[in-house]
Amino acid sequence: MKRVAITGAGVITPLGNNVATLINGLEQGKNSTVYIPEWEKYKGLRSLVGAPAVLENEKLIPRQNRRSMGRLSIFAVQAAEQALRDANIPQDALSGGRLGCVIGSTMGSAESIAEAFETLLPDNDLSKLTSTKFFQCVSHTAALNVGQCLGITGTVMSTNAACASALQAIGTGYDLIRLGEQDIMLCGGAEGLHPTVVGSFDVLFATSTKFNQNPKATPRPFDAQRDGLVCGEGSGIVVLEDYDCAKKRGAKIYAEIIGFNSFGNGSHVSESSREAITACIKETLKRAQVSPQEIDYINAHATATIQGDKEEAAALREIFGANVPVSSLKGNLGHTLGASGAIELIASLMMMEKSIIYPTLNLTSPDKECQGINHIMQPLRKKINLLLKNCFAFGGINASLVCKKE
Amino acid sequence: MTEQDVIRLVNEVFVDSFEIEKSRLVPEANIFMDLGLDSLDIVDLVVALQKKFGVTIRDDERVRTIRTLGDLQQFILTLKKEIGK
Repeated sequence: MKRVAITGAGVITPLGNNVATLINGLEQGKNSTVYIPEWEKYKGLRSLVGAPAVLENEKLIPRQNRRSMGRLSIFAVQAAEQALRDANIPQDALSGGRLGCVIGSTMGSAESIAEAFETLLPDNDLSKLTSTKFFQCVSHTAALNVGQCLGITGTVMSTNAACASALQAIGTGYDLIRLGEQDIMLCGGAEGLHPTVVGSFDVLFATSTKFNQNPKATPRPFDAQRDGLVCGEGSGIVVLEDYDCAKKRGAKIYAEIIGFNSFGNGSHVSESSREAITACIKETLKRAQVSPQEIDYINAHATATIQGDKEEAAALREIFGANVPVSSLKGNLGHTLGASGAIELIASLMMMEKSIIYPTLNLTSPDKECQGINHIMQPLRKKINLLLKNCFAFGGINASLVCKKE
Repeated sequence: MTEQDVIRLVNEVFVDSFEIEKSRLVPEANIFMDLGLDSLDIVDLVVALQKKFGVTIRDDERVRTIRTLGDLQQFILTLKKEIGK
């Protein structure tokens, strides 16, 4: 098996549209949750807060590429372009057949899907639908648009596993390079904020509803006062590369991926399971050939739901005890869903580079069911050699990844 | 609706939907070769024109003979006259 390095990163996030701005926001302890008055018109929607990103410079993408993109695909293309520049990948590699992309999202562009039905349904008239709406709505919209816009002729694939989408994408790219099928992979996820997405969590009582008038105080991962997640949006893309090729060309290596795993819980579509999370993480560590005590930092999934956070905390408690530092970035970024695995991994790689752990924002009093793990509540200076990233998705799909500092 | 109104509204579709500069919208411009539209754009052009002029174009065989912007403007004028009758 070949070794796999991470050599580039790009992001569009609620804290800013490049890695430097994202990290600056985390350093300053910024929260990106805002009240969204436009959502007041939706009956039954109780959560009126979100963590939006800024859509900008989209017209720099040529119209004939942009026409098939919804909001999330534009984010994905912009993040992918940043990542390619960061890794200094030569232009001719894109069309050489040895570079591919795997990019996931919860679903196609929610905004475009809503527009399609709003066009179609009033008169049941298909003739009003534009030709490119389909490409904005399909589940592989981020991957296809990045592939088309950048001229990628290698593997183009999509992983659509809700909040585990990005980490599964990175895991898939990792496998393709390990197997020698591709040399370079653009991997990650993207998501667009839309009331229909928030609504899907709201009907399950998974959203934050008590902080509409005090949005900066939510979400509150692991906190006793947490009341649910806040949906965000954006994209995170990493460049994965054959380690030896990266070394040979003198590329900057953020980290090496040494273990990935994604398991299903086989028990419930929406309820997290501490047993399943434990099994997923243990298998990831086994594949990485590291012991729990060797991990220096855990970037938790922790979205601030009542149920999910306590299950993740229980799994971390069982495997790591109270020794390994844990933080969630959802308090800063909201839950960027299909993008979260990549955005938060990129932030974690920067923590690794800077030897600092950013704390869980809004965690002031850990819930008694979330205690017994090493919550980071203030910035912590620490050398990070090995980090673990978790992502857990509706559908009972869990994923974990271990990275090792170069 | 005058001929000038039709020309102006057709041109608006090319500016708004396909981001083409007004200066390029001359009657002899070939819709494919000069203005750069492709098969997907033609579908969207038909949708936009149907909405703008309240006409049905999608299944009209005469669409197949249109090559230039001027052809298209004249076709819309003809359709509007037919509706008027």
